[in-house]
Amino acid sequence: MEYETVIGIEIHCELKTNTKMFSSAPVSFAKKANTNTNEIDLGHPGTLPCVNKEAVRMALRACTALQMDIEPLVRFDRKNYYYSDLPKGFQITQQFHPIGEHGKIVIDVDGEKKEIGITRLHMEEDTAKQFHYDFGTMLDFNRAGTPLVEIVSEPDMRSGKEAAAYVEKLRSILYYLDVSDVKMEEGSMRCDVNVSVRPKGSDKFGTKTEIKNLNSISNVQKAIEYETERQIQAIESGEGVKQETRRFDEAKKITVAMRSKEGAVDYKFFPEPNIAPIMLSEEFIKGVQDNMPELPDEILDRLVNTYGLTTTEANILVSTKEMVRYFTDVMKYTNNAKLACNWVLVDISAVLNKENKTFDECPVSPKALGDLIAMIEAKTISNKQAREVFEAVLTGADPKQYVEEHNLAQNSDSDALMKLVEEVLNENPQSIEDFKAGKDRAAKFLVGQIMKKSKGTANPQMANELLMQEIVKR
Amino acid sequence: MNFEGYKLEIEKSSRKEVCEKALEKAKAVQPALNAMVTFVDYDDSYLEEADKDSYLYGLPIVLKDNVNTKGIRTTASSRILDNYIPVYDAHIWTKLKKAGAILIGKASLDELAMGGTNRTAYTGPVHNPYDTSRISGGSSGGSAVLVASNVVPFAIGSDTGDSIRKPASYNGIVGVKPTYGRISRYGIIPYASSLDHVGYFTRCIDDAAKALFVLAGRDDRDMTSSYEEVPDYFKNLNGDLKGKRIAVLKNVSDAVSNETINKQFNALLEKMKAAGAIIDEVELDDKLVRTMLPAYHIIANAEATANHSNLDGIRFGMQEDGDTMEEVMMNTRTKGFGKLLRQRFVIGSYCLAVDNQEKVFRKAQKVRRLIVDEYAKFFNEHDCVIALASGMSAPLMETTADEDKLSDEYLVAENHMVINNFTGYPSMTMPLGMTDENMPIGINISTKPFTEQLLFNIGKGIEDITGLADMYKEVA
Repeated sequence: MEYETVIGIEIHCELKTNTKMFSSAPVSFAKKANTNTNEIDLGHPGTLPCVNKEAVRMALRACTALQMDIEPLVRFDRKNYYYSDLPKGFQITQQFHPIGEHGKIVIDVDGEKKEIGITRLHMEEDTAKQFHYDFGTMLDFNRAGTPLVEIVSEPDMRSGKEAAAYVEKLRSILYYLDVSDVKMEEGSMRCDVNVSVRPKGSDKFGTKTEIKNLNSISNVQKAIEYETERQIQAIESGEGVKQETRRFDEAKKITVAMRSKEGAVDYKFFPEPNIAPIMLSEEFIKGVQDNMPELPDEILDRLVNTYGLTTTEANILVSTKEMVRYFTDVMKYTNNAKLACNWVLVDISAVLNKENKTFDECPVSPKALGDLIAMIEAKTISNKQAREVFEAVLTGADPKQYVEEHNLAQNSDSDALMKLVEEVLNENPQSIEDFKAGKDRAAKFLVGQIMKKSKGTANPQMANELLMQEIVKR
Repeated sequence: MNFEGYKLEIEKSSRKEVCEKALEKAKAVQPALNAMVTFVDYDDSYLEEADKDSYLYGLPIVLKDNVNTKGIRTTASSRILDNYIPVYDAHIWTKLKKAGAILIGKASLDELAMGGTNRTAYTGPVHNPYDTSRISGGSSGGSAVLVASNVVPFAIGSDTGDSIRKPASYNGIVGVKPTYGRISRYGIIPYASSLDHVGYFTRCIDDAAKALFVLAGRDDRDMTSSYEEVPDYFKNLNGDLKGKRIAVLKNVSDAVSNETINKQFNALLEKMKAAGAIIDEVELDDKLVRTMLPAYHIIANAEATANHSNLDGIRFGMQEDGDTMEEVMMNTRTKGFGKLLRQRFVIGSYCLAVDNQEKVFRKAQKVRRLIVDEYAKFFNEHDCVIALASGMSAPLMETTADEDKLSDEYLVAENHMVINNFTGYPSMTMPLGMTDENMPIGINISTKPFTEQLLFNIGKGIEDITGLADMYKEVA
C-alpha cells in the first residue's frame, strides 16, 4: 500500500527582550547559573507577574509576518503542573485566547511552492534548566521566565523535506523580524514534531506520535523520515502505532519512545487572576505593523527581480541579515549585481571566514568594494589588477586613490589606443603578414607590443579589438 | 490612644521608649492571646529616609505574617514556611518604612490566610482579648487582637472573604478592606488572587482615614493596582450624615436571630435617620445570596490551589527528604500543610479539573458575575450599603467547627461580607456595641469603588453616634 505522512509542528521560540516575560530580571544565555533571576522567576511567595510590553510587541510582529488574525484583548492563563523546573507550579501562557490565529507561510520545496497553515501563536514563559548528574539534579533559573512564543502549524506538511523547509522558513522570518536568536543548537528555538501516516488518499488521520526537542533542521527531516518508515512498518506488521512521545537519537538516527500519551496530565487551565485583560489600542498595533522590517521573501524578491541574481545566489545572500545588508550597501556604488554578488560570496566571505568576523565587522567598506567593482566594470582596471587593489583595500587603502597613485588605470581611451595600434602595425609589417598567413601567435605578439608601448595601462581586451579592426584593413 | 495620642506620647518620652513599651506589652499578652509569630526588636535604621510628617511616623505597628519582610522570618502561619526568610519586601512594608512606622512583630493568621477562626495557625489558635476562651476570628486574628488589646494602634491584615472585617467585628475595632487595586498586593503571600485585598485595623475612623493615605497607590509590580489618585482622606473627613442615602441589606437583617444585636442595629439606624441620613432597605435575590458562599469557596480554593503550588520545598521553605525531586515535593507538601489546607487543595483541584471546570469553577464565576451586577444596582440609588458584620459575637473556641453550614444564619448572616470580595468594593467594619455576654459586635458598611472618602465619612458619622472610637480591652 502507498502511504502518506502527515506532519504538524510546534515551535517554541525565545524572544530576545531585555527582560523576562513577567519580571524585570535580565534575559541571558550562558551566564553564571542563577545570577539572572529575581524573586518572581524563583516563584517566591507573594510575587506577581507584570507583562513585558516589548514581548507583546515582538509577538505582534511575528503575528503580522505570519499573516495572522490578531486578538487585541491580551489574556493569560495558568497551566498547572508540578515539576522541579517550574518555580510557581504553573506556567503563565495563553491557552484560551492566543494573540494570533489563522496564519500561513509559503514554503518552497524543489521549486514547488506550498502554503502551510499556522493554527496559533501565543506568548508564555520558559522554565528553568535542569542538569542531571550522578549526585543529583542541578537547577539553573536564569532561563525561568524568559519570554517564549509558541507557534503551532496545521498538519499541512507531507514529508520530512517539507517539514524542514517549514522550520527553515519560520526560522528565517523570526530571524529577520529580530524577535529571536533562533539558534536551535542553543535552544532559543525548539521544535516538536507530530507525525502520523495514513493510506494515500484517505482523509482520516492516523495515530500520531510526537517527537520532542529536535535540535537542528536536518534532524527534523531525518527524524520524520525515520518515523514515517517506523510507523508504516508498525502498521504493516499489524502491531499498530501507539500514541506516544518520542525523542530522536542523533547517534543512531532513530526515534525512541519516551512516554505514553494515554492518561495525559490535566493541566487545569484557568484564567490568570493577577493579570487583568489588556486591550491593545489600534495605535499600539499599528505602531508595530508600520515598523515591520523587510522580510526574507521580500528581500529575495528584490535580489532576483531588481538585481537579476539567481534564486540560489539570493538564497545564500539572505542566510544572514548582515550579508544582505552589506550587499545592498555595495550596490549603492555599482550597478553590476552579478559581480558584486561574486565578490561578496567568494572574496569577502573568504576574508571574513579567515578572520572569524561577520559582515558587520568587514574590513572592506561597502563603498570600497563598490568602487572597486565599478572600476572593474568600467574596465579601468583589469581583473588581475583588481586583485592587487583588493589586497591593498584589505589593509585600509582607498581603491580609487590606490589605482591613481600606482598608475594602474587602464587606457580605455580608444583614440589614444588606436594611435598605439597604428604605430605598432607600422613598425611590424612582418607580423601582419604572419597573421594573414594564419599565425595566431602574431596577434598575441602585436598586442604585447601595444601593452609595452602603453606601459601596461592599455586595456588588453580593447587593444585586441582595435588591432583586429585595423589589421584586416592592411 | 489614637495615632495623634501616640505622637504626643513620643514627644513626651521618645519614639524608642514608646515602641519598646509596645513590644514589651506584646510579649506580656502573648501567653493569653498567642497573637504573635515573630517579635521584632526595635529598629529605626531606615527612619533617616522616612517622611517625618507621615501620619505613621514613629508609631509601633504589626504586620500580618503573610506580609513579606526582607530578612525577617515570614511564615504565613504554615509549617511549610516556618523557616522562610524573604528575599524582598512587600510593597506595603516598603511604604510603611518610608512612612517611618516601627515594626514590633509579625502576627498570627489562619494557615496561609485560609480560614476564618485563626485556629489553624501553625503556632496555635489566637484568643479574643474580651474573653480568651473565645476565638479572635480570622484569618487576620493576630493583627486584630493586638490592636484590640491596645498593644499597637495599627496592624496590617488581608481580606479574601472577610478576614479583616470579621475579626474586627469580634474584637470591637475598625477593619478596612479598601477597593480592589487600591493597595498593592505585591509581596503579600496570597490566598486567592482575584479576591485578596490588603487592609488594616485601627481603633477609630480618623486613624483608618490616615492609614489609607499612607498605604494606597499604584505599584507597577501589581498589574491590578490602580492609578486612581490618593486623596488625604483624613483632611477631607466629614461625618455629616445629612442626605446620605443608606441601604440596609435586608437579607442579613432577616437572618440574624440575636435580639440584643438586632435592637442595637435598629437603634443605630434610627439615630442615623435622626442625623439626616435617608435609610432604605434593599434585598438581594435569596437564591443568589445562598449560592454566594459555595461560589466563593470554589473560586477561592481553585485559585489557592494554583497559588500555593510554588510551595514545594525545592527553592525555599521547609524541605522533606526524598529520592527524587518529585518525592521531595510530595513529602514536603504532605508534611508542610495542615489537614484543612490539604482538603482545600483537593477541592480546588477538583473544581479546576477538565471534566468539572465548566460545571463547577466556571459556573461559580458566572454566579460571581451575577452577584456583582445585582449588587452594583444598589449603588445607583444609594451611597452606602449597611449590615451587621455578623449575627453573633466571637464564638467559643471549642464550638467553632459546629455551625450548621446550610442555615441562613451561616450562609447569610455569617458570610455575606464576601460580596465585597466578589465586587472589590470598599468595605469597613466598625464597632456597634456589646452583646449580653459583653462581647463586641460590629457593623459593616460598603460604598462604590474608589469612594473610600465617602466610606470614612459615613463611618465617622456612625462613630459619632456610637461613641465607640478607641475602644479596647486590656489583657491582664
